[in-house]
Amino acid sequence: MTRSFLSIRAVRKTFGAFVAVHDVTIEVPRGEFLTFLGPSGSGKSTTLYAIAGFQDPTSGDVLLEDKSLLAVPSHKRNIGMVFQRYTLFPNLSVAENVAFPLSVRRRPDAEVKRKVADMLALVRLENFADRHPGALSGGQQQRVALARALAYDPPILLMDEPLSALDKKLRQEIQAEIRRIHRETGVTILYVTHDQEEALHLSDRIALFKEGRIEQIGTGEDLYVRPASEFVAGFIGNSNFLPAEHLETAAGAATVRLADGSIVTGLTAAEAFSKGQKVRLMVRPEALSLAPGPASAALAVDIVDTAFFGDRRRVLARTASGDEIDVRPTSDTIDPAGAAAGSGQRIYFDPASAFLFPA
Amino acid sequence: MLLDYDRLGWLRVALVGFTAAVAAFLLLPVVFIVLLSFGSSRWLAFPPPGWTLKWYEQLFADPTWIDAALTSARIAAMSAVLAVVIGLFASFALVRGEFRGRQLLRGLLLTPMVLPVVVFAIAIYAFFLRIGLAGTTIGFVIAHTILALPFAIIPITAALEGFDKSIEDAAIVCGASPLQARLRITLPSIRIGIFSAAIFSFLASWDEVVVAIFMASPTLQTLPVKIWGSLRADLSPVVAAASSLLVGLTLCLMIVTALLRRKLSR
Amino acid sequence: MQGSSLRRGSIAGLTAGSGSALPALLLVGLFFIVPVVALLLRSVTDPEPGLQNYAALFGSGTYVRVFLNTFLVAAVVTAVTILVAFPVAWMLAIMPPAYGSIVFGIIILSMWTNLLTRTYAWMVLLQRTGVINRTLMGLGIIQEPLPLINNLAGVTIGMVYIMLPFMILPLVGTLRAIDPMTLRAAALCGASPFQAFRRILLPLSLPGIAAGGLMVFVMSLGYFVTPALLGGTSNMMLAEMIAQTVQSLLNWGLGSAAAFVLLVITMALYALQLRLVGARRTGGGL
Repeated sequence: MTRSFLSIRAVRKTFGAFVAVHDVTIEVPRGEFLTFLGPSGSGKSTTLYAIAGFQDPTSGDVLLEDKSLLAVPSHKRNIGMVFQRYTLFPNLSVAENVAFPLSVRRRPDAEVKRKVADMLALVRLENFADRHPGALSGGQQQRVALARALAYDPPILLMDEPLSALDKKLRQEIQAEIRRIHRETGVTILYVTHDQEEALHLSDRIALFKEGRIEQIGTGEDLYVRPASEFVAGFIGNSNFLPAEHLETAAGAATVRLADGSIVTGLTAAEAFSKGQKVRLMVRPEALSLAPGPASAALAVDIVDTAFFGDRRRVLARTASGDEIDVRPTSDTIDPAGAAAGSGQRIYFDPASAFLFPA
Repeated sequence: MLLDYDRLGWLRVALVGFTAAVAAFLLLPVVFIVLLSFGSSRWLAFPPPGWTLKWYEQLFADPTWIDAALTSARIAAMSAVLAVVIGLFASFALVRGEFRGRQLLRGLLLTPMVLPVVVFAIAIYAFFLRIGLAGTTIGFVIAHTILALPFAIIPITAALEGFDKSIEDAAIVCGASPLQARLRITLPSIRIGIFSAAIFSFLASWDEVVVAIFMASPTLQTLPVKIWGSLRADLSPVVAAASSLLVGLTLCLMIVTALLRRKLSR
Repeated sequence: MQGSSLRRGSIAGLTAGSGSALPALLLVGLFFIVPVVALLLRSVTDPEPGLQNYAALFGSGTYVRVFLNTFLVAAVVTAVTILVAFPVAWMLAIMPPAYGSIVFGIIILSMWTNLLTRTYAWMVLLQRTGVINRTLMGLGIIQEPLPLINNLAGVTIGMVYIMLPFMILPLVGTLRAIDPMTLRAAALCGASPFQAFRRILLPLSLPGIAAGGLMVFVMSLGYFVTPALLGGTSNMMLAEMIAQTVQSLLNWGLGSAAAFVLLVITMALYALQLRLVGARRTGGGL
């Protein structure tokens, strides 16, 4: 077994009776881009603060290369961090901001100068060295913050929702910058966000938090294609849920009866269900189409509304039992003729792409 | 439309006229006293029969006026330094601390500003009589520091509240010790608040009359006490000369403040 | 839920508990709380234990008249200050900043000018042979000089002059916080300027007026310098009476009792003012 890099071991954090983090354990290999994803209050930021040293965990340990960090004060942990809000030092220029961590480490002037130039080049702000933070846009400020956090070559970079204060276009632009910088520097990044698209776009792996626990950890594709729970399926990507009754499971393929009485077979079950148990069938809007394919299951629906978005079409359907279904056929299954509003239509999906979760 | 300056119509004429009149009312005594100090009439006739500098000559010829001014400056400077330093420490506790009774403490430290000065004046006077600090510079400085403290705490806490704590955290993550982070990042960032605190605390002591009247001794009196004494005796034009110099000082202070603020808030 | 907002205990936060407030607490405790409490004790112990000082205070027509006069002056000053300050604050809130800053400059200059200097100027301006009487007589408006000093008129003019900045500056803040759109909407709804003023602008600025007015009232109640110099002997105010009782009559017991009464009234009104301001901050109405 290789020596581990960053280990978060059974970290638990309570505030009075409230448990913010329940025994979270993660192994992070060197160079990984790991995202803590989850709704606000799910414990992802608290876990990050425990690594940064802003909060001492109630129990558990955080180890970097097999040495515990907990006894080390924040300013000696040698960790880089980019914050949610703009945290540039308002009294210092851009270059002085980037030089700050080096100057408190008493590095020689020549090295500081060279490093500041390198870092500003890395975030492409060479021409802004003498500006003051107040004269920068939000995106520029976060890029300087990134340069400052990387200036002392920290082994780990923590990012706490760094893009949440930026508008959408800027967010995408800086996401690309972060990806490039991760590629170029190879730094290990722990990234906190509540935006699933951001997580999918940036990360090697995603740890999805719910109520202080890790609900599922894996690559973005794992979470999307093989969600471990209804919460994961609902949080990552879009999904439709239909109430159903479990009939039987044979050879890993489950059969259910939907509310309108139709039977669907060949489904993937998240766990073992008993006969007659109430379950929920999840199917992604992209997995639904208006034309039958091979091995398709069919649903009888009324088409309520259709909308055209250029690269795709969105259809809103409703089952006889009143459940609304969002349908976003992928381009090869667009069927303009079948997309007209009206009753007595059918939509199709591959049962292998659908999941069953406990109700 | 009542809050659209361009759409007030005739009402705007009336309101602007009224505002100008009030501005004139506020300016009147200040300008008047300066003009009067150059007037030659012993009886403060206005407009003066002629112009003269003799009241200023008398003022500077009288060592008690100079003494009083120096005493005031000394006490105000010491009180301001003490109030700013003590207020700075207190402000960190009031803004950053998480402890029971924080609001109570804030209320307590601001009370000297609200309590009628005359109550504090006779209280501290009686107290100092007993412990032997009445009529001493130390007694003056202690009493004035207490009165100046709220004027130091208010701007510093305001500045500290407007300063994002995450910035200090960022400095610490960057490797600065908590003390380094405060000295190199936080204090420079709230310097406008500290500067305002210094000006206000200085003025709070410099202009203070009531405590000073009680505390003053024949050998130790501040400028306001000296003026108070002269006013009660007669309306000598020398007081006008002294007052005009005080107006000049205020103007200088305002200009310096405006310039420094512009420079600091760059 | 407590803690659910991810309250951040941060590194520096741990070192900044209550400890750094200790010097301030010591200073205020030893040289403010102790002397004031000692003074209050004196009101029931000097010259002998008992409530005789309070009995003397409320039993004597002279002292009761001082109380009534104090309230009267404070009320008149507050009313006049509000009436004068409101239109000025209104204009300052919406004026082009180029003109507004001149008025602000004048307000600051007046506020920062030595208190005695300002009061002295009014003594000279208001006296029988002063500029104001001479001007009015020269214009033929009056035949005899008006008695403007050593009476209620003198105190009111001098006090309003001092209190105006304390009313105008916070009111500008209140008025600036009102969205001009609401008044445009009122006009479109058919409200005349007077109706819009009475039913929209005035109610919206009422919290600011109430808070500022209460502050002016409290400050006026305990004011010493201006009433002592511009007021007359027949309308003495409480603060001056306290000072005289202690300084000239050396009657510490009675002075302390009067000081205690002033303290209680002031603190009660101050608490009320804090609640008004607090209610406004949390979005509650009056």
